Amino acid sequence: MNKDMELIHRLLDREISREEEDDILKRINSDPLLKKEFDDLRQAIHVVETAERLTVHKGFTSAVMKGLPASRILSGRRIRDFFFKVRVVRWNMATALAMVCFVVIVLTGLFQIQRRHNLQPAESTIAVRFNFYAPQAQRVSLAGDFNKWRVDESLMRKQDNGIWTIEMPLKLGNTYNYMFVVDGKVWVTDPDAEAYRDDGFGYKNSILRVNAL
Amino acid sequence: MDIPEEEYSIIRQCIDGNPEAYAILVRRYQDMIYNVTYRILGDPEGANDMAQETFISAYMALKDFKNSSKFSSWLCSIAINKCRDNLRSRKDSIPLDDIEEVCASNMANPEEMTHKRQVMQNLQRALNALPRDYKEVIILKHVEGLDYREMETILGVSANVLKVRTYRARETLKEILKEEEGANE
Repeated sequence: MNKDMELIHRLLDREISREEEDDILKRINSDPLLKKEFDDLRQAIHVVETAERLTVHKGFTSAVMKGLPASRILSGRRIRDFFFKVRVVRWNMATALAMVCFVVIVLTGLFQIQRRHNLQPAESTIAVRFNFYAPQAQRVSLAGDFNKWRVDESLMRKQDNGIWTIEMPLKLGNTYNYMFVVDGKVWVTDPDAEAYRDDGFGYKNSILRVNAL
Repeated sequence: MDIPEEEYSIIRQCIDGNPEAYAILVRRYQDMIYNVTYRILGDPEGANDMAQETFISAYMALKDFKNSSKFSSWLCSIAINKCRDNLRSRKDSIPLDDIEEVCASNMANPEEMTHKRQVMQNLQRALNALPRDYKEVIILKHVEGLDYREMETILGVSANVLKVRTYRARETLKEILKEEEGANE
């Protein structure tokens, strides 16, 4: 490549000093062949530089994103971002109102449950008197669900009339099985019980349902 | 040559497992890469596929991207390498009638369309006739408007060598266009 052509190319690239530019332009204008070369080169570059710029088809970006490999492992950073990343939530009035209504309904429901729970009284007990006529007995005790059928726990008191008695604090609404134990060894069903049930050992348990008076 | 902070931040997000951020970079450079691949390959469909593959390959190699070059230059480099591989495996030339599809969507009237189509065909024919090295420098220098420093980064060849190559490429292109003009008259 001769010097003139090199300068022409540098002129086209705008990588030339002022003096060199003046010099080559003077020679171009005075030499028809050189001028033709310069004009043809400029024209060729002009054709390329002014060619229509192409744009990608619609969906190009989506196609690329779909082609990306899925992340296989959630890094700690991703987990952290999941919880702490600032997110923009799009909303409209209808959605906002629906959310408010939902929250109100939930809160009302919770309030009702709490209120119902508060109105229910705590489990209450009442004193229930047990009587058993056994004037000959030396010792009578009451055994049942309420004391785990212990023979020696709930000892009854003998009255002058030969009736053994005891008061037991029992829960309202509960049903209890019980029997009297005479002298520590004889199991006796209460003849005055409301109901009876076989205990599977050959005896009949006495049944008491504790109701409010 | 550091990349802008914003681009660096997007790349870091992608590496940290947030691929959605990559869409920003795709949208930003998709036309540029498509123009490069189209001008090298000469066929719109192949260019589209190659451009998509470029972005996908770039994503998978993001960890290897060095902050010392522009992201667009790095993308161009990947695109050109992919095109080179593609051309090596090609035996048939691509019919220039495909250019009609590229032009059609942008044309206002049939005459304008015909003229533009002719111009595009002539240019692409001329580019296709250039040796591969010459075609690449013409595309990067005069289609994408890059300077020799950026071209050095993309092609891995010194700027001085690229200057000489570009000068020769221009002269070859000039002769080809003159011949076409003569043939069309």
